[in-house]
Amino acid sequence: MIPIENFLVLSALLFAIGFYGVLARRSAILILMSVEIMLAGVAINFIAFASYLDHDAFSGLVFALFVITVAAAEVGLALGVVLRLFRERRTANVDEANSLKW
Amino acid sequence: MFDRLPLPSQLDRTIMAGGTIAGLVAAPVLIVLLGLQITGTISAAEMVFYMAAGVVLGGALGAVLIKNIVHASLSLIATLLGVAALYLLLLTEFIALVQVLVYGGGVIILLLFALMMTNAQDDPIVQDGSQKPFAFGVAVLIGGVFVTALLDAQWGDPTAAVIPFVDFGARIFRDFSVPVIIVAVLLDIALTGAFVNARRAEAHDEEARS
Repeated sequence: MIPIENFLVLSALLFAIGFYGVLARRSAILILMSVEIMLAGVAINFIAFASYLDHDAFSGLVFALFVITVAAAEVGLALGVVLRLFRERRTANVDEANSLKW
Repeated sequence: MFDRLPLPSQLDRTIMAGGTIAGLVAAPVLIVLLGLQITGTISAAEMVFYMAAGVVLGGALGAVLIKNIVHASLSLIATLLGVAALYLLLLTEFIALVQVLVYGGGVIILLLFALMMTNAQDDPIVQDGSQKPFAFGVAVLIGGVFVTALLDAQWGDPTAAVIPFVDFGARIFRDFSVPVIIVAVLLDIALTGAFVNARRAEAHDEEARS
């Protein structure tokens, strides 16, 4: 049997890697990919707790399922926005999308 | 055989090189893991876990570090499929199937489409922001705090239990029916929003041309 700590440490590392990507990248699509990595880490954490500590209630599994669903919807919308930005500005770089910056 | 594949030559070479490097790195690790398993230090499940964890972490590092945007997204595929393997190890087959379907089938295709429709073809190399050292420091801090806190806590010795498909389906539509409806509405709104966004952009382009 795999100890639960293995999954928890792995998900923490995955979250940290994704966080680094969100802060360091400048292309909007790569930032989205880093967010996906962070979400995967969180979902692993939810499912590890659900399957090890919470055998009767299904809250962790349902949470993970909804995280996946909402992430899919978010990717669809955000990529639409990125395409729109690229059409108007010829760039997908978030530093150059500064019309709302005061 | 490889020169007959209908791939652009650069992508072809990249896949070959990436596969060779991954194989060279993975082979010694595999041998060590097999040795540990045969001598009884770790169980078979743990061996599979370490292999999947290596794929997941390596793919994630590639996705945030590689400069070429297409290679980074290919590296993300490895991460997402490795995460599906981890879900299988956690005995939740349904979530693993959903992961493969939604991420492997939908999200990755969308990401690659968006890459191809923006600047991936002319200029696939991206420069990262100047806040890189700061980002590295914050990420190390977050990871360190999480890992020390997790290892410090007492988890007892819990074991995983299989959750059958039937129970999961019954529970999700009986006890969690309101969240399911809310998510359905959310997906509906997201689809409509994406559609309206794309259509307005087209109308705008025509206005600009005329």
